[in-house]
Amino acid sequence: MRIYEDLRVVQTRVGILQSLVAGLIVLLIIHFWTLQVVRAKYFRALAENNRSRLVTLAAPRGPLLDRNGRVLVENRPSFNVLLTPEDAEDLDGTVAKLGRTLGMGEAQLRERLVRRAQFRPVVVKADAPLADVAALEARRVELRAVSVEVVPLRSYPLAAAAAHALGRVGEVTERQLQSPEFSDLQQGALVGQAGLESQYNRSLMGKDGYRRVIVNSRGLEVAEADRRSPVDGPSLTLTLDSHLQAAMDRAFAGRAGSAVALDPQTGEILAMTSTPAYDPNKFSTGIEPALWGRLSTDPGTPLVNRVIQGQYSPGSTFKLVMATAALEEGIISPDTTFYCPGYLSVYNTVFRCHKASGHGVVNVHQALALSCNVFFYQLGMRLEINRIAAYAKRLGLGAPTGIDLPYEAGGLIPSPEWKLRVQKAPWYGGETVSVSIGQGQVNVTPLQMARLAAVIANGGKLVRPHLVRSRGGQPVSEEAPPDQGFKPQVLQVVRSGMAAVVAEGTGGRARLPGIVVCGKTGSAQVVAKSRFDKTPTLTSVLPHGWFVAFAPAENPRIALAVLVEHGGSGGEGAAPVAHEILAAFFGLKAPTEPGVAGVTDPETED
Amino acid sequence: MAIDRRLLVNVDWVLLGVTLLLTGLGVLTILSAAHSGHGSGLYLKQLYLVGLGLPCLLVSLLVDYRRLADRAVPLYLLAVGALLYVLFFGPRIAATRRWISLGSFHGTLQLQPSELVKLVAALFVAKVFAESRSETLGLRDVVGPGAAVGLLALLIAAEPDLGTAFCLIPLFLSVAFLAGLRMKAVLALFVVLLMVGGLGWQFALKDYQKTRIYTFLDPSLDPKGAGYQKIQSQIAVGSGGLLGKGYKQGSQAQLGYLPARHTDFVFSVLAEEMGFVGVLTVLALYLLLLWRMLETAQLARDRVGAFLAAGIAATFAFQVVYNVAMVAGLLPVKGLPLPLMSYGGSSILSSLLAVGLILNVRMRRFAN
Repeated sequence: MRIYEDLRVVQTRVGILQSLVAGLIVLLIIHFWTLQVVRAKYFRALAENNRSRLVTLAAPRGPLLDRNGRVLVENRPSFNVLLTPEDAEDLDGTVAKLGRTLGMGEAQLRERLVRRAQFRPVVVKADAPLADVAALEARRVELRAVSVEVVPLRSYPLAAAAAHALGRVGEVTERQLQSPEFSDLQQGALVGQAGLESQYNRSLMGKDGYRRVIVNSRGLEVAEADRRSPVDGPSLTLTLDSHLQAAMDRAFAGRAGSAVALDPQTGEILAMTSTPAYDPNKFSTGIEPALWGRLSTDPGTPLVNRVIQGQYSPGSTFKLVMATAALEEGIISPDTTFYCPGYLSVYNTVFRCHKASGHGVVNVHQALALSCNVFFYQLGMRLEINRIAAYAKRLGLGAPTGIDLPYEAGGLIPSPEWKLRVQKAPWYGGETVSVSIGQGQVNVTPLQMARLAAVIANGGKLVRPHLVRSRGGQPVSEEAPPDQGFKPQVLQVVRSGMAAVVAEGTGGRARLPGIVVCGKTGSAQVVAKSRFDKTPTLTSVLPHGWFVAFAPAENPRIALAVLVEHGGSGGEGAAPVAHEILAAFFGLKAPTEPGVAGVTDPETED
Repeated sequence: MAIDRRLLVNVDWVLLGVTLLLTGLGVLTILSAAHSGHGSGLYLKQLYLVGLGLPCLLVSLLVDYRRLADRAVPLYLLAVGALLYVLFFGPRIAATRRWISLGSFHGTLQLQPSELVKLVAALFVAKVFAESRSETLGLRDVVGPGAAVGLLALLIAAEPDLGTAFCLIPLFLSVAFLAGLRMKAVLALFVVLLMVGGLGWQFALKDYQKTRIYTFLDPSLDPKGAGYQKIQSQIAVGSGGLLGKGYKQGSQAQLGYLPARHTDFVFSVLAEEMGFVGVLTVLALYLLLLWRMLETAQLARDRVGAFLAAGIAATFAFQVVYNVAMVAGLLPVKGLPLPLMSYGGSSILSSLLAVGLILNVRMRRFAN
């Protein structure tokens, strides 16, 4: 081995290597400076985002109870089957297995997987039965991407029978999220979408809480950093009576129409039904978009609450307004009589009474009982349209009643001023004659007519129909109803006429044993002829039958309006329904045959 | 064999000190990275291994490095044999065959021969080039040794352990460079390596390896998969800030977001908990370590010593730079430990022995 090797080249080149290494390490240090000092804030936010999760603690929605504390709406625990596609090693296999386990088609499952956010579980089956949950539990290992969550589900024990008053819940819509009212909500939140659920949505929702938790890389919670407990939505105690509600729904026996009953002294609504209806339970899971589409295009309009949104000609029930106005104005006394020859010929038109041979000489009592048109034509011509309209409005027609439900219609009481403004035409005297018997442009809602019965029953107090008695145990104060200032003796005459309607007149089928029922029949001519040309079934040409009533005659406890669509005359179509409702209210056994034996129809109106 | 007192005087205490300091910092960081759960004893195991490695280092000083270099060829053959053995008979762990089982000691004790093969390769390359008599080397002169080292690299790559296989490239290149390889030849070698790399990409790389490289180029391709490690490591480093989150306080490390945090990503834990100040300190220590190693190559009394020291230093430098750059998200994730700091028996043993070899060269720079 040589002692002196020439190492100069080696030494120079080692120097180059040293510089190279030093240069690389300096570059690394500069890079760490940018990461740890320049961009530290950005990465700190990412680390924080990694470690903490905000878990919403959903506040249970407040339950709805009837006036006696019976449950109308509650939350029941239900199971949702979730699938997180990102967690599946073999998505096709998982979907196939899941389909077999749940008894669902693969196409149906796949449909659920479209349109969704990444890494978020999808509800593939809502409100799954316990058997499904057990079956999934047994296949836990093969179906790792599948999980089951327990969620409170809005439950409506009366199902369709109280659908329109109670309403329904559904996922908050895109449009709602953009409105200020819902701006604080997240997509997927359940909100009231109709009825009381919508009207009192904010109160019922309570206040969601949250937990800020520290999670490890597997998503397991290791600590809780912060929490706010949820505040339960307070319960609402309603004015509804669930038994009466169910009975009212049964009384319709599948026919289309609506009915509403209220306490004439307070305006508390005891029951309200609109048919056809829908089962609000079906909306609770929030994953049935097709259902809404189907119901909203149904020609039977099951989503419409006819009690407050159905606008109909009042027909002969409007004669209550006419009688009250004429008596109050002193145009007639209880003894004033008119002669009915079966028609009235004025303004070059022949206005017919429904009894062609005429009722002969009748006073207001008889005219109400027999629903004589000619008598009320005479009143109309004497009152004239402006006074008729004023009295109709004093009795609460032509404007929303202010019920605590969304989207209430106002109806219409025509006047020359209205006609000039809207139709740009002068008022004709003949129109006044039509209005006198509730035809023509007059439109009312069943709720307005029930309230009219209440106002007559309670001596002239314009009560506000409402559905909530107390919220979270605190009674909701109701302002004293304004007294409309009718003379007591005037209303007494109208009431006795209404008693005669049931006792001896057109409303005999509403008669109750032992209880004096006051009522008034009516039939609304079906206006839209074009619709019937499209669906020319036999029943669709029949007029809608009205029956408005209160009972008992002394100290009335219930005021009622019933409308049966295409039910024919009020006496035949609506009075039997009212009879069943009243019988249920007074705890009487409803007879098998709706018409009480021995009742004969003195007349068939219009 | 008695040891000359003069030799002891010439031991590079700075290099030894820095080595012990980095090893100690490694143990502390491993303790932080895995102080709870089933990994809580890992720092202790690392401590035992250091305790085992240091005597080995001292014993290795007794043997003159030239004696070792003289046995480079038989050692080389032994290395090939060991690698073949691992490839065919080694236990299969995580789809790789890298280990020889050595029985049981605080869990199973396994030796990764490829770590020690690096040292054998350094001895072999140093010896071969030291014996070359020409002033300058052309491409033709490096084909032979290149093929020999390439065989080792291929055997390691087949385990597969690409990271360790790659370490042999800087080793070979730097020694060839010092041995007088012409600049033109250095460039030509680069071209050859690139072509080999291209062919390797086409035929040799496994799918998971390709995905790693793809996702390195665009981590958002697979944020939960192969890009995850890079993203999480960058978050850990960046969120450490100037002063760090404090020892055992790193949320990325402690909550398990960092993968392989006591092995390949141990530097990431340090960066998160000790901040830029800690990073600066440790990188300065590594620079000092590498500087002293290369200085040894300058001071060596003969070519074998210079080449041995430089080859080992180059391997070390490559591993440190690659690992730290990977932790910072600059290079694709590869299973390449940080010498002296990462958890792992074979790695720590091989690193300490490597330091020993360099001390060996330096202390004998005056000896005959």
